[in-house]
Amino acid sequence: MPPKINAAFVERVLVAFIRDEFARCGCATAVLGLSGGLDSAVSAALAARALGPGNVLGLIMPYGKAYPEDVRDAAALARKLGLRSETIDIAPQIDLYFAAHPTANRVQRGNKMARERMAILYDYSAREGALILGTSNKTELLIGYGTIHGDLACAVNPVGDLYKTQMRDLAAHLRVPAAIRRKAPTAGLWPGQTDESDIGLTYEELDGILYSLVEGRKTRREALEAGHAAAAVDRVLRMIKRSDFKRMMPPIAKLSIRSVGHDFLYPYDRDK
Amino acid sequence: MKIALAQIVPKLGDVDANVDIHLNILEKARREKTDLVVFPELGLTGYTLKDLVEEVALDPATDRRFGKIVAGTKGLSAVVGFVEESPAEKGLFYNAAAFVADGRVLHVHRKVFLPTGGIFEEAKFFAQGRDIRSFPAPFGRAGLLICRDFLQYGSSYVHYAAGADMIICISAAPGRGVAGGRAFETSRMWELMGEAVSYFSTAFVVYANRAGSEDGVTFAGGSFVYAPGGRLVAKASAVDPEIAFCSIDLDAVRKARRAWLFKRDEKPDVIWRSLERIVRASED
Repeated sequence: MPPKINAAFVERVLVAFIRDEFARCGCATAVLGLSGGLDSAVSAALAARALGPGNVLGLIMPYGKAYPEDVRDAAALARKLGLRSETIDIAPQIDLYFAAHPTANRVQRGNKMARERMAILYDYSAREGALILGTSNKTELLIGYGTIHGDLACAVNPVGDLYKTQMRDLAAHLRVPAAIRRKAPTAGLWPGQTDESDIGLTYEELDGILYSLVEGRKTRREALEAGHAAAAVDRVLRMIKRSDFKRMMPPIAKLSIRSVGHDFLYPYDRDK
Repeated sequence: MKIALAQIVPKLGDVDANVDIHLNILEKARREKTDLVVFPELGLTGYTLKDLVEEVALDPATDRRFGKIVAGTKGLSAVVGFVEESPAEKGLFYNAAAFVADGRVLHVHRKVFLPTGGIFEEAKFFAQGRDIRSFPAPFGRAGLLICRDFLQYGSSYVHYAAGADMIICISAAPGRGVAGGRAFETSRMWELMGEAVSYFSTAFVVYANRAGSEDGVTFAGGSFVYAPGGRLVAKASAVDPEIAFCSIDLDAVRKARRAWLFKRDEKPDVIWRSLERIVRASED
């Protein structure tokens, strides 16, 4: 399993990181999607501490009346943290699109919704002069359990190096409400979906395997010797490989002597 | 003797802004009657430079901005990290540390060990220094090292063999591992080396790291001073910027060398001949 984090120290590092990044961009405000789940709650709580709750705008973006509990939990979290929040129903534009281009593929529908939420976040980023705060954790990033250009899109991600099981510890430390911490994690692509049934592993099993492979640099054989089930390890290895593209910029065909994406290399955080 | 560890957050790629940060701290240090101010690695430029390296490079002998820092050391000494491009080696950029005292540059050390691998890519952008040389500082013999130089433990030995009273390491060490206590786990590595080197070199070890973050990487702070014999004299915050002042008794070097005879019994000639044999064998 990933090691138990010192949550107070992690909070200190991440709060300073958010503050630094926003100061560098000359940006006081953060905007993020509040799903009613654990990851966005942790990101929101860190941003509220770093920037002040009045400088964090949480957008609650349900699809119609689907997930009433999540909407309620998200709104309660925003109230508890003292964030500004707005609720925007994405059903009208989603329904309009799928009326013209119907599909029975629920993953495709879910991805479209995730990208609609992303488009709204970027619009609010421009309206508010705000930076979008990411909410994808390390587990999701490693197995590619997220929608590219959807929930994976952001300007700054404070939680992307924390496994899901570590996120739970940080959430408890940040006093995220129990209603959010105790519910089954879901990507919310369709009603009744849960991450763990989707992935076929519990987060404990998944994080254990990922930690062995990533930080532990174990080979498949060493992971099996360490007691992980072969089917699970193979599944995780496949998920990592298949989702490489979600973790990097697309390749640019190199023609010139100095090219974007190859040898035109500047830091992200150069002082503007 | 009073030392200030300047655990600052440089602005990435903005030499003018960083010169101001340095000058302000030098002024404050002078008011506090400080003898030596140690700034972090690449404090004049920021660390994650990539292709900015050539934009921020300077020649310490002629650069007007560096001249301000030199002038700012009237009455005290400072160690300053910067990117060096000298007229003798145009187009070569060194990750460098200058020891400046009372308005004069006494020594420049060019980083020898450029970490390249994992999150590090220094050898991609910097030329490699090829010398480890101590020099007479106002308070005694001193040796400079830059970050990874210090973790290759032969580097400190060279300064020790040359009779250094103080080994000064400037650093931009990122923090990694959060399962430890109230600091990054990698901070332990630096303290371990600082403690051991100060113990067995019977010399002072002064380590100045930076704070802040660049491109998602947080620098681990934790600057420290160890007195001869592995005695911790000062330690700065694990994450936050800080100027940590401390006082040391330079006579501790003499006392430690009387109590522990490592220095008297040292045999650099034997080490040298043995190393020479190893190096020659590896060349064959």
